[in-house]
Amino acid sequence: MSIDHIVSIIVFIAAILLFVGLFTQTVQTAIVYQQHQAVAVKCSDLLDDMLLNPGSPNNWGQNNATATSFGVQDPEFTQYELSAFSLMRLESTTGQTVEFDKTNPSIFYNEETTGAGSYLLMPNAEALNYSSALSLLGLNGTYGFQLAFVPDITVSIAQTSTSPLSFSVSAMGTGFPYAGATLNYCLILVTLGQTNAQYPSYTIQTGSTVTSQQGTANIVTSNSVNANQICSLIVYAHSDGIVGVGFETSNLPTDQYIVPIMEDMGTQQVALAHNYDLNNSGPAGYSLKYNATFVILTQGYTLSELALGSPSSPGLVGTVTSGVGNPYPTISMPGSTTGILIVTYQENSTDGGIAMMPWGISSLAFPVTFGGNPALQEWVTTDLRQVTIGSVAYQAKLSFWSDQQMQVTS
Amino acid sequence: MRTVEVLLVIIIIAGVFIASSFFAVLPWPREVSPMNLRRLSLTTLETLDSANDLSTAAFNVNNATLWNNLQITLSASLPPDTVYNLTVYNVNSGAGGATLYTPEESISNAANLGITSDASSYLVASSNVTFNVTPQKIGESNGGGGGITLYILNCSDANGWWITGYTSPSLAQDLYNLLSPYFAQTVIVQSTAQLGQLLGGTSLQGEPLQNAVVINTCGEAVPIPTSYGVAPYSNDGYAYYTYTLGQKVLQYNWTWVSIVGWPLYYVSNTALFSGSQNTWGIYGMNMVGRNSGDGPAGLNSFLEGIDNQTYTYGDSSTGSPGVVNLSTEAQTECNYYGIYPSQYQTSTRALPTSILSTYHMNVTTYVFNTVNNWNPGAVYRHIVTANGTSQYQGGFFALGLTRTPDIRLTALGLLSDYQPRIYSSDYTSYDTSRLVVLQLGLVGGT
Repeated sequence: MSIDHIVSIIVFIAAILLFVGLFTQTVQTAIVYQQHQAVAVKCSDLLDDMLLNPGSPNNWGQNNATATSFGVQDPEFTQYELSAFSLMRLESTTGQTVEFDKTNPSIFYNEETTGAGSYLLMPNAEALNYSSALSLLGLNGTYGFQLAFVPDITVSIAQTSTSPLSFSVSAMGTGFPYAGATLNYCLILVTLGQTNAQYPSYTIQTGSTVTSQQGTANIVTSNSVNANQICSLIVYAHSDGIVGVGFETSNLPTDQYIVPIMEDMGTQQVALAHNYDLNNSGPAGYSLKYNATFVILTQGYTLSELALGSPSSPGLVGTVTSGVGNPYPTISMPGSTTGILIVTYQENSTDGGIAMMPWGISSLAFPVTFGGNPALQEWVTTDLRQVTIGSVAYQAKLSFWSDQQMQVTS
Repeated sequence: MRTVEVLLVIIIIAGVFIASSFFAVLPWPREVSPMNLRRLSLTTLETLDSANDLSTAAFNVNNATLWNNLQITLSASLPPDTVYNLTVYNVNSGAGGATLYTPEESISNAANLGITSDASSYLVASSNVTFNVTPQKIGESNGGGGGITLYILNCSDANGWWITGYTSPSLAQDLYNLLSPYFAQTVIVQSTAQLGQLLGGTSLQGEPLQNAVVINTCGEAVPIPTSYGVAPYSNDGYAYYTYTLGQKVLQYNWTWVSIVGWPLYYVSNTALFSGSQNTWGIYGMNMVGRNSGDGPAGLNSFLEGIDNQTYTYGDSSTGSPGVVNLSTEAQTECNYYGIYPSQYQTSTRALPTSILSTYHMNVTTYVFNTVNNWNPGAVYRHIVTANGTSQYQGGFFALGLTRTPDIRLTALGLLSDYQPRIYSSDYTSYDTSRLVVLQLGLVGGT
């Protein structure tokens, strides 16, 4: 064998190996592309599966029943109209866990908030968690997802003056200012009781205006706020079927406040908790007087009070006292009617506040994030739908990934 | 020399690789993982039309304010990287080769829609147009002349039981709204005296008595005319009255409807039983049966009457299968008639399947699936054989569900059994519909 033979064989083998590698890389890339496309198609199908069926039982969102199939469509509607209650029962990815010992044995709650004075605490024991949803969808061990619902319209409110009481409102869409939109607002003006026998009282006033080309508006009311008054403004921005909600509360300085807690979806009881009792964060024996009401949104975008019982019955007006042994009051919510539970409270004649809890996730345009963390995944596909939740427009976004390795060799 | 040959081979292989790479074009990353723009487009159109604003704009293409608002809303609701073109087409008749769709108005936020785009269409209707449906009258297709009569018992002098949360008048009103379009004539029976008149064979308003449907809105109680408060009808704690009722059902070929619970468990007449109550505090009512009543005798006697058997006092029985499901047939009819009761109901007064053979019955419609030889809800037809020919004579529709009654199930069961047709109006009438097409594209990236 000559040197010529040896050199030629070495060069030939090296060339073959090189080209096999190059071909393999091309083929591998194509295969991964195919796998990605399959995941993307599955993502779109899965999103429709979730949004276009109510799950089973179909009213699982309105009670404490264990869901046997996953779906968030409103059982009383068709198409992309979702249940505001089913979404409440999803274990939020972004929420904090809060401990409230008085509701033993279920003492852990998942807390969501979208700003000062708004709370949505759902019992962990009744929440549908991510791993259960994966099992119900048949995705266990193969795929992961994150389902997020974000309001189409973000309504931001800032108080600009107390006399006259004025606010600056901004309505922004996901891609454009919400210009020319009608703003219907509801002003809740709370006056704190000045004697021991008095509870906080409130009035609700309504009005409307239109946003400018920049999507902003100024609301000037005929009221002024005194030292013993608190106000809260809820604004509905709407045009062409797209409705957004925003709110602002001006609580007076106090380190004590009331937090409404959804104690049990089965009985639809809301517990009113003193914040000192949450995570055992404060001393016992401190009391807050409260006055609670429930309001629903009418077709004319005004708030209408719905009776929770006799106005003098316990649970609507009363006292919350911190510490073990001091019972907490409860309020029965009205079935499947979405609305806002408004609890006005006061520590004394000058310190108090307003706590609001949406009954139905859309009442205060709470966002929802449910599922795994897409940031930790190698490759994620997303898909989007416009949906309506309790007349409020949301975007439903599904981030979807495969749990099996799909790596492009470089 | 061989080295040169190898180099030639390498050149050939390299050429093959370059050529194959040239033809093996990989898709754009956006095409690999596309956002489903078609579904996003459709859901956006649905949301825009949720308050009929899109429909209003589509029929007011010259209203600049409406279209300006529509464009702002569209821009605000779509993601920032999404471009769109929304076009409204008028739907023409297409007769004589004319264009079927002609564009009326179009708005867009970009000169072009990028490298990939997709579209959805949505048909909107003019607010000036009302789409009607015309139900077929039950009985007309069977050569029944003017069709059959629906009687709804709303006797003001009779009380109800197991209609908790409702009253007979409210149930009667709901039934009237649901069912009267399907019947040639609907008669509300306002008193037990009027019921007595019907049992005597005299119509109330000249309506045909034969083949009628009689719905008892009193639940487990059945109204009894005062004239029937004497012997022999009062025998065996009014069990003989229910036997007579069964005979009348057979005689007039009625279909008797029990909307909830154990049928004919009580008889009710506020004047006749002013001093007696049903053991639960409801006065004007008497439990059917001997020894101050043992309820089940009413159903047993009624079925004997339908079957024209000799009257024999005895008890009937019902079962408690628990949660029951709508039958496939009933679910199909839900979509046809637009009546959507819950698919799952609780049954604790289901009739046994043994009544089919005992009383010569046949089930013509199962509203609920049979569970362990119990029928939670079904329409029974009594079989009469004469001269070797069998036919139906007398019917019984029993919903053995637990209170409170869902009146939609009653309507669904009757409609499923008689199956009247629904004639829809023409949806493609000229100038009543417009087609809205929303095309979406993505900008930025590759």
